[in-house]
Amino acid sequence: MTSKTPTPIQLQINGHRHELEAEPRVTLLDALRDHLGLTGTKKGCDQGQCGACTVHIDGQRVLACLTLAAQAEGRAITTIEGLAGEDGALHAVQAAFLEQDAFQCGYCTPGQIMSAVACIREGHAGSDEEIREYMAGNLCRCGAYPHIVAAVRQAAVEATS
Amino acid sequence: MTVHEFRTRPGDAKRGDASDGAVLADQVGGRLSRVDGPAKITGAAKYAVEQRLEGLTHAVLVESTIAAGRVRSIDTAAAEASAGVLLVLTPDNILPLRTATDWLGTPPPDVAYCPLARDITFSGQHVAAVVAESFEQAVAAAALVKIAYDEALAIVDLSDPKAGDGIPVDAMTKEWGEAETAFASAPVRICNAYNTPREYQAPMEPHGLIAKWQGDQLTVWEPSQWVDGMARTYAEWFGVPFENVRLVSPYIGGGFGSKAFAYGYGAVAAVAAKMLGRPVKLAVTRPQTFTAYGGRAATRQTVALGADRDGKIQSIVHRGVNETSVDGMWVEPLGSVTSVMYATPNFSSRQNVVRVNTVVPGALRAPGENPSAFGIESAIDELAYEVGIDPLEIRLRNYAEQDPHAKKPWSTRQLREAFAAGAEAFGWSKRSPEPRSMRDGNQLIGWGVAAGTYPVRRAYGEAVVRILAGGSVEVESSSIDMGQGTYTILAQTAAEVVGVPAENVVIKLGDSRYARAGVTGGSRLAGVMTGAVHKAASAALDQLIGLAISDPASPFHALQANTLVVADGRIASPRGNGPEVSIAELLRSVGREHIEAKGDTMPANSTVEDRYKNYTTIAMALPHTEGDYSRYSWCAHFIEVRVDEDFGTVRVSRVVSALDSGRLYNPKLAESQWKGGIIMGIGQALLEEGIVDRRYGRIVNNNLADYLIATNADIPDIEVISVGIPDPHSSVLGGKGVGELGIVGVAPAIANAVFHATGKRVRDLPITLEKLI
Repeated sequence: MTSKTPTPIQLQINGHRHELEAEPRVTLLDALRDHLGLTGTKKGCDQGQCGACTVHIDGQRVLACLTLAAQAEGRAITTIEGLAGEDGALHAVQAAFLEQDAFQCGYCTPGQIMSAVACIREGHAGSDEEIREYMAGNLCRCGAYPHIVAAVRQAAVEATS
Repeated sequence: MTVHEFRTRPGDAKRGDASDGAVLADQVGGRLSRVDGPAKITGAAKYAVEQRLEGLTHAVLVESTIAAGRVRSIDTAAAEASAGVLLVLTPDNILPLRTATDWLGTPPPDVAYCPLARDITFSGQHVAAVVAESFEQAVAAAALVKIAYDEALAIVDLSDPKAGDGIPVDAMTKEWGEAETAFASAPVRICNAYNTPREYQAPMEPHGLIAKWQGDQLTVWEPSQWVDGMARTYAEWFGVPFENVRLVSPYIGGGFGSKAFAYGYGAVAAVAAKMLGRPVKLAVTRPQTFTAYGGRAATRQTVALGADRDGKIQSIVHRGVNETSVDGMWVEPLGSVTSVMYATPNFSSRQNVVRVNTVVPGALRAPGENPSAFGIESAIDELAYEVGIDPLEIRLRNYAEQDPHAKKPWSTRQLREAFAAGAEAFGWSKRSPEPRSMRDGNQLIGWGVAAGTYPVRRAYGEAVVRILAGGSVEVESSSIDMGQGTYTILAQTAAEVVGVPAENVVIKLGDSRYARAGVTGGSRLAGVMTGAVHKAASAALDQLIGLAISDPASPFHALQANTLVVADGRIASPRGNGPEVSIAELLRSVGREHIEAKGDTMPANSTVEDRYKNYTTIAMALPHTEGDYSRYSWCAHFIEVRVDEDFGTVRVSRVVSALDSGRLYNPKLAESQWKGGIIMGIGQALLEEGIVDRRYGRIVNNNLADYLIATNADIPDIEVISVGIPDPHSSVLGGKGVGELGIVGVAPAIANAVFHATGKRVRDLPITLEKLI
């Protein structure tokens, strides 16, 4: 077997098992977008610099473009599509993003939201200053940053109240 | 095919906040949340290259590694033998295309167009492309294409000794009075040079497309700021009728001027799709986005201000230069703000362009106005210190009561109000005037001010409005939403006119099959399209009321009313007598499936050719000084910086901006767009710079880790204040431009604040630490 031979990969995504045939060199990002049609996770740079592809693996925020799909086997992957409830009810962070107008073009947004959920869970949403620092890995060229901070702050308060 | 529909969600705030008085969120002027928001925050929004198509293939570009010369040979053997490869495109085997009309509407020369180059004029030019079954296979094979060059000497940038003085652009010359004589005899004279580097749009969604042919019908999924203009280009390249090309672009992951045109890689993908008979996806890589199309040209300006000892300007002499490519022409109008911001009896502005080995530069948020404001708004600050007058006061002292260039009254100019409101909110009166006189520990604190402006560009648009059997309203337009809020403000417009809740309005955008629209650029779309939708929706409402009054089957027929009112989806007599029925009930009773009206804002006698030209070129755009008025948006930025005295690092710690964009169609979204412009301006002032490797004429920081854009940690809270009033001369509903305005004047406000903090005047962007220590 070479690195170019498609091999079966099983991924646990948003609580569901997905199977695909992919070369070992396929990234988790391309597996999600091109193989599984889960295009909510965005490709902004494909070199780990922008944060648009942020997903959770075992609850930790991870850049899907710097993760091989095969590395994620046997681990719990959460993408933006898995954040809302089964009934479609928005996650508190999603609702806060909408209310605070924390996005414009929407392309960095799934990554921002996945980062924000983890940022709150990590306990790094204690102040605006801390939110800015721990959300700095997710670039937003539309410049929604102050509104992203407001949304994270709002969701963090809701999470603790 | 995905149908892109949006409805507002129940539970969205129905009312605007107190600042809007009693404006309903549903109506024009209300703070309705983005109607396309739910799709974007759940990952459901499908951007261009995310379409899943049967038999999709993947293309990867191969680019030149020299900046000037000629391709001697291309060895494709290894690439062609690589697993999964379907086609290696080179200049030798690519189908010939025709040259297309440019965006100005200039008829093209009758020469073939080839998007792959033999003659190399810049590093990063497309030379070949590999198409394979999978993305990974295409990437691997692209690395196996071997190109041999005959290299020539490149002119790497404006500072290259070979660059020369360039070519005068006579159309940019603006002169009145005796500028040079008046400057020479002025009691106070300052003259300095201001430079801006290459800057890049860097939208978060890289460019790219999927092209698919069915016979001679081409469908292109591509992010687009100009669906009809790009469809025309594809049609002309391939010599097929305009109607044969469908361009689909419901979501655009940021454009900032970079997604208005079809570029060479689009031609490559469409040719490959035709040659293979299979759909082709070509996603431009992040590094390739720095050369696959142009960013903002590097600029050089000298600004000479002659004034009396009270700071009153007597003369402005301005000279500008921008770089362009070896075989393309881009003019960044550097005298655009210089010529309108301040009253002066004598003025001269001239501009040259200099050819260097770069991709042809392009539009980046406020092309022209942005660097122009950096020059004049820095220069007047320098004059303020020279004559010992407060930087805000000197701007008021030289306030232009009319357009100094066009010699026409402003349609509206709330700049004085912007200065007042911004200064009040910022606390400008507490400013200590001396440089280096405010500090907090080892941080030097500086307060700076600068103004900005952007012309109101006007054009025409059309829209189709349907009132459907169920009582909902549907709007179709080929205009687009790249985050400005088109979906939302058009829903508000249709809802208000027809008299239904905004959640019952479905907006369909970004498809060349819909009613046509011109370019989304120059901050013109909102004014154009709210006008068109207003007109179409009014016509649909008239039809509805006409049916209700006159159709024998209508429950209102016996009432013999002159008119009826529609509110919250229900029809009634204005006097309250007679029945009240829902729109759905009325349509059912008169046996109609739907009502449809098309509305456009074109002059009544427009021909089919006029319309085509209007929507696919900018040849018919209306000058902002047309008629009796000069139309501009205005703003004033007040910015605090903190400069570490030891390290020279600059942090923006406070921003208050007051802006006049006329009437706001949705303040919530307009505020976001203003702030976005301000944030891009902070990046421009402190971070952004395309760095050229002088040995190879190559941009070395062609990625998002090395080409620095502002991150969340770079940005403080930003306060924006609307000081606009409805401007009936600028648009149907009274708005002026929003999107570009916010960035104009930010960089000089920061440079001025840095001078106030440190006593050092930085006239070269970006303001990096080595320039301060």
